[in-house]
Amino acid sequence: MIRVRGLSKQFGGVDHGNGSVLALSEIDLEVRDNEFITVIGPSGCGKTTLLRIIAGLIPYDRGEITIDGKPVTGPGPDRAVVFQNFALMPWADVLANVTFGLEIRGTPKDESQAKAKELIKLVGLENFEKRLPKELSGGMQQRVGLARALAVNPKILLMDEPFGSLDEQTRRLLQEQLLRLWEHERKTVVFITHSMDEAVMLGDRVMLMTPRPGRVKEMIDVPLKRPRLRELEKSSAFLEVKEYLWENLRVMQVE
Amino acid sequence: MKQETAEQPVVKSTTAEKMRLPPALRRFLRNNALEVLALLGGAAIWEALGWGLGLQWLPPFSKVMEALAQFMHSGVILANVGTSLQALMIGFGLSLIMGLVVGALMGRYRYVEKALDVYVHALFVCPSIVFAPVFFAIFGLSDASRIAIIVVYAMFVIVINTATAIRTVDPSLVEMARAFGCREHQIFARILLPASLPLVFAGIRLGMGRAVKGMVNGEMLIAFVGLGALAQKYGAQFDAAKVFAIAMVVLIIGLFTNWLVQTFEHRLTSWVD
Amino acid sequence: MKNDALQDWGLRLVVFAAVVGAWELFLSRSQNFLLPKFTEMVSGLFQLWFVDNRFWEALYISNQALLLGYAVSLAVAIPLGLAAGRLRWMDRLLNPYVGVLLAMPVAPLIPIVIIALGLGLSSRVFIVVLFAFVFITVNTRAGVRAVDPSLIEMAKSFGASEGQIWRRIVIPGAMPAIFAGMRIGLGRAITGMVMVELLLVASGLGRLLLEFSGRMQSDLVFATVIAVIIEALALLAAMRAIERRIARWAPDISVG
Repeated sequence: MIRVRGLSKQFGGVDHGNGSVLALSEIDLEVRDNEFITVIGPSGCGKTTLLRIIAGLIPYDRGEITIDGKPVTGPGPDRAVVFQNFALMPWADVLANVTFGLEIRGTPKDESQAKAKELIKLVGLENFEKRLPKELSGGMQQRVGLARALAVNPKILLMDEPFGSLDEQTRRLLQEQLLRLWEHERKTVVFITHSMDEAVMLGDRVMLMTPRPGRVKEMIDVPLKRPRLRELEKSSAFLEVKEYLWENLRVMQVE
Repeated sequence: MKQETAEQPVVKSTTAEKMRLPPALRRFLRNNALEVLALLGGAAIWEALGWGLGLQWLPPFSKVMEALAQFMHSGVILANVGTSLQALMIGFGLSLIMGLVVGALMGRYRYVEKALDVYVHALFVCPSIVFAPVFFAIFGLSDASRIAIIVVYAMFVIVINTATAIRTVDPSLVEMARAFGCREHQIFARILLPASLPLVFAGIRLGMGRAVKGMVNGEMLIAFVGLGALAQKYGAQFDAAKVFAIAMVVLIIGLFTNWLVQTFEHRLTSWVD
Repeated sequence: MKNDALQDWGLRLVVFAAVVGAWELFLSRSQNFLLPKFTEMVSGLFQLWFVDNRFWEALYISNQALLLGYAVSLAVAIPLGLAAGRLRWMDRLLNPYVGVLLAMPVAPLIPIVIIALGLGLSSRVFIVVLFAFVFITVNTRAGVRAVDPSLIEMAKSFGASEGQIWRRIVIPGAMPAIFAGMRIGLGRAITGMVMVELLLVASGLGRLLLEFSGRMQSDLVFATVIAVIIEALALLAAMRAIERRIARWAPDISVG
């Protein structure tokens, strides 16, 4: 379980107000085990900052954040990140990219390659192991990023607008693939998105954030049953939640 | 996957094919026809002007080729090329090592960058040849002064390119590595090093060109050995054909070393988009 | 941010002091009588600038060639680069020669120029042009090529003529690269100026260097070298300042 209490983060400037920005202010959040949370909010609401703090990539100024009771002090084997611009090493082939996390942790070569091949197959890239990232489409590259994250068997998957730079068709296909993978093994997921459709379709709960400074406005339950199928997009429950999100977001956009 | 066509188009035979040249050369000629023609045209104009104008300083192209052939046959050129290349290799080697190390440190650590950038930039932009008298004062007529000049010519472009290369590595790659638990030395070896290769090689290629120039300039000014000395000697004798021939030899050295670096570069950076 | 700037200069001063210190140390151990101490170098500079007339005369003579040669280079290279950038066939025609000129050291050709033009100002000017113009051409061409083709398309869609496209899109767009080429060309021109004077045409600063060198007055040799470096840096800084006022919007790109 991820537990955040009174978390605040400030960028720049040693003293207050001297060119510094309060990115996050008094964030309270609880993510239960095996829960899929989507995070949505306008630019500047600090959602990426929050994700990076949970990932242990940047420090925070006030408050506390614990995972299963232990405070977050840096990156760890219990968490893995999927990046918006894929962050694949362009000089390494698909197999080498997927084994990266395992190699860093000292997993012996044959073991990490076996595990990697398994996941490459799972994301549907079975014949592409020797390909370089430049030979792959955006959607395929992100599937590699997903395989790499899953390879280290994390408890928590942190996804920073993973489908944001893909075209709509690819995005929808990857959403369905992600949901299938998640049904197979329900990790705890924190998923940042700009898309209301995506937020409602994927999440058990949607975390709505407001900007300047970044705060949690509300945690919204998504009363849709799992497994989530495409037809649910037409259901009244889906449209209600989406409409509610839009009403809130539209006001924030104007501000 | 490309679509395979059902029929192959009929291939007309070209001049190159009729001459039975290897396919790679044929392809090269076909793609670069205009450039090759430009060079051949230039040589033809040179030849015509050489005979027509009869100027002392513009011998016909064929005479220059003659001088070049003469050089190849006599031992003169070989000995001097050897002397020149020796200094080039040592000088470039030193530039490479020092350039890469200093550049990497500057790229990685802001303190180093801030401390040295003013000096590196100043030494990079100022005409390197002015250091010739300085090195002459320090090292006299020895090989060391020639090597020192080559280092001054080549090193700083390598430093600057290496520093920029490391500094401009995609930060999301570094973040990704940290997210997966990489420690500092792992980030350097697994991310910074491979990611910076393209720009580093650009610097190495430029440095190579600079080193060749430093080699010749140094020889002409200081040590009076090697190819530079020959150029001086024949210049004093007003033998323009031989001087042009030596310039060509230096040019060939420059093109060859550049090709060498590029081959390495292509093998190591074939992954670039 | 003032603290940062102070800290940076502090670091640079430390490096400077360390180098001077190492130099003095090296001197006290070595047997080389030719090497001047740091203080001797400084006094040499003073002597050069304020006591001896010859430096300023030499500077004037050398810079004649530099200014004329640089001006000629610009007049030749920039139109050539613009043409090569815009006309594909011209680019391909010139390409092999540009490649050769970039790779080939000009120095071996200096004796030939001397044979042709003698030992006067004209040969010095010509050498400066030889050193500088290729780099200016290459950068100008790169600048023209780098202009976003969709901007040209946009202008055409509004009915712009070729001249208008040049004036309003291509030249402003290529400005940063042209300036970069001009800066590199200036450095190369200074190199040419010094090179020919040192090699054959003993006049100006080159002659001073040869003279001091021959008389073993190494403090003056070093001082002259430093003076040349200062001139080069000053001219380039001036160029950068002009550039900043004219072409403020662009990032740093350059070839060579």
